[in-house]
Amino acid sequence: MIHTISNRNRFRIPKKAVPYILLAPIFIYYIIFWLIPVLTNVKEVFTDFDGHFTLLGNFKFMAENELFKQSVRNTALFAFVSVILEYLVALLLAVVLNISFPGNRAMMFISMIPMAITPTATAILWKTGLMSDGWINTVLLNLHLVDKGFIYMNAEGLNAVGMLILIDAWTVTPSVMVILIAGLQGLQKDQKEAAYLFGATKLQIFRDVTIPTLRPSITTSIITRMIAAIQVWSISVMVLGYGKAPFLVERVAFYIEEIPGVETSSKLAYTYSFFTTVVVLIATIFYLRISERNARNQA
Amino acid sequence: MNTLNPMEKTMIALVVAFMCLIVIIPLLFFTSVAFSNSMEVNSFPKALFASSKVTVKIVPQDGGKYELLYDYGKGSGYESILTSARTSNFESHFRRQYGVSISGDDLFKDWEMTRTKGSMEFTYRKTPFLNFIQFFRVVPNAASGLRNSIVVSAYTILISLFFGSLGGYAIARYRFKGRDQINVALLIVRMFPTVGISVSMAVLLIKMGLFDSMLGLACIYSVPNIALTSWITSSIFVGISKEMEEASLIFGANSFQTFKNITLPLAFPALAASSMYSFLTAWNDTISALILTNKNQTLSLVVYKAIGTTSSGIQYAAAGSIVLILPALVFTFIIRKYIGQMWGGVKL
Repeated sequence: MIHTISNRNRFRIPKKAVPYILLAPIFIYYIIFWLIPVLTNVKEVFTDFDGHFTLLGNFKFMAENELFKQSVRNTALFAFVSVILEYLVALLLAVVLNISFPGNRAMMFISMIPMAITPTATAILWKTGLMSDGWINTVLLNLHLVDKGFIYMNAEGLNAVGMLILIDAWTVTPSVMVILIAGLQGLQKDQKEAAYLFGATKLQIFRDVTIPTLRPSITTSIITRMIAAIQVWSISVMVLGYGKAPFLVERVAFYIEEIPGVETSSKLAYTYSFFTTVVVLIATIFYLRISERNARNQA
Repeated sequence: MNTLNPMEKTMIALVVAFMCLIVIIPLLFFTSVAFSNSMEVNSFPKALFASSKVTVKIVPQDGGKYELLYDYGKGSGYESILTSARTSNFESHFRRQYGVSISGDDLFKDWEMTRTKGSMEFTYRKTPFLNFIQFFRVVPNAASGLRNSIVVSAYTILISLFFGSLGGYAIARYRFKGRDQINVALLIVRMFPTVGISVSMAVLLIKMGLFDSMLGLACIYSVPNIALTSWITSSIFVGISKEMEEASLIFGANSFQTFKNITLPLAFPALAASSMYSFLTAWNDTISALILTNKNQTLSLVVYKAIGTTSSGIQYAAAGSIVLILPALVFTFIIRKYIGQMWGGVKL
């Protein structure tokens, strides 16, 4: 027994090294499956077809592409409008519904469903509705809101983006509402009561107590949502088809799926995916800066 | 609650009702499509619930033929659809158009009496879940897609748990140089858009011989999930008291027994939650599967492709979507208390 203990001690790893040994597998994993792909992508973006360095060559090539401008505009519009719309509506709903009423839990449960649906399934769900003999026209006609059904599938340009924003709003808004209600319920009641005692109005309380308390949870969730919104693609392709409402990632998928194996298309796929990544990173940093500055101004 | 006046109560009731309708109505119509036959899919206006029965009118004709008539419900009454003497024609017509799986001989046996009584109406019960069966039969790669999705989810869970829990343990239990930087790095990897690495990942996987394989696909799905698992498990490992582990060691348990009997049971909820996140990433993704697979498609990709190839049979794609939705739905609800924390530290 004594022998084995001393034996064990001899091979004992220095305590300081233990965390590094535990983290080593992750480190190696990320070098292989994250760093190498990232660097490969960067290399591809900054070399031309012959493998020579080019700073802007591929970006020019991408920008000359007919749908590039549209895809940038649509992505920006989609990410911006959908996030603002969803959070405003969700905040409004959360404030109204932040009370206990019969059926409260059932409503919360129902609200979480759309977000849990796989994106490709969401696209099919809405496609069955948007067909000219689909259920959306059925509902509109039954409610006598219109005399004749619309044809949605031919939507192009901004109409198409607007339609996709509404679909996204259906998916996301109810869940955001649930999360904001949860945030509001964590709010200290005494804080509110104290504010009342000092004569604050409901609006003042909302602005100076509710919003600042919710800020940390809103910040994280908006960033998560924004990152997802910038990467929208499958709903656009499945509902409308390629090129009808181009987005950045939709272009990546287009070059991979529709024109596979061609040198130019793989170059464009690299450049678009690099561009998307940069947009995501910039958007995240930008948003964090703004919300930090607002927080400071308020303080 | 007590301070609400009737006006406010009414308003809240309206808001709640409106919200529930907005969420539920699309879901009901969609489910209805998944259980509809071709006739119902092409009919307008759509029904909120799919019918369970089909009624046709049969007119006997000369030469052993039967004429089949169907009422589209558009007010124009019965219309002639098919006249034939062959059982197989009716059999495939019933299966494809009405969602009724019945043999042609049985149909002809039923219709025999029209020879004496003249034209009659017949009602048949739709075969339940026929669209689901058809989805796996008709849509290319559907059955293997389901299998692949399960396999890739399992791989993703295993890889993320192994690497992630090691990291989570290290971050929770040790104070070491570079700990904060590692936390930041893990956050960046978690937020990093997958599309930024998946195109070049194809090259890497081809080199490794993992292209078009579920293991290769799991490697990319694990990238955000290893970081996520470390993050979730580290918060749990902090909570498991070190004293308890030490006590167990003092009472003679070896480190493996301690881990098995003390640490693992306490950490189990966190491990389960992070597994479900890994599952959802692998199950819901389409873009990486599109880029990194060729023949071995996942179910999500199969459903994505089904919409392009079988525009005539959107009910099959809808049925496939429901197969895709159910596990995702169940797992999302199990981990809903973590979703709030993910989205910024609120408890749901």
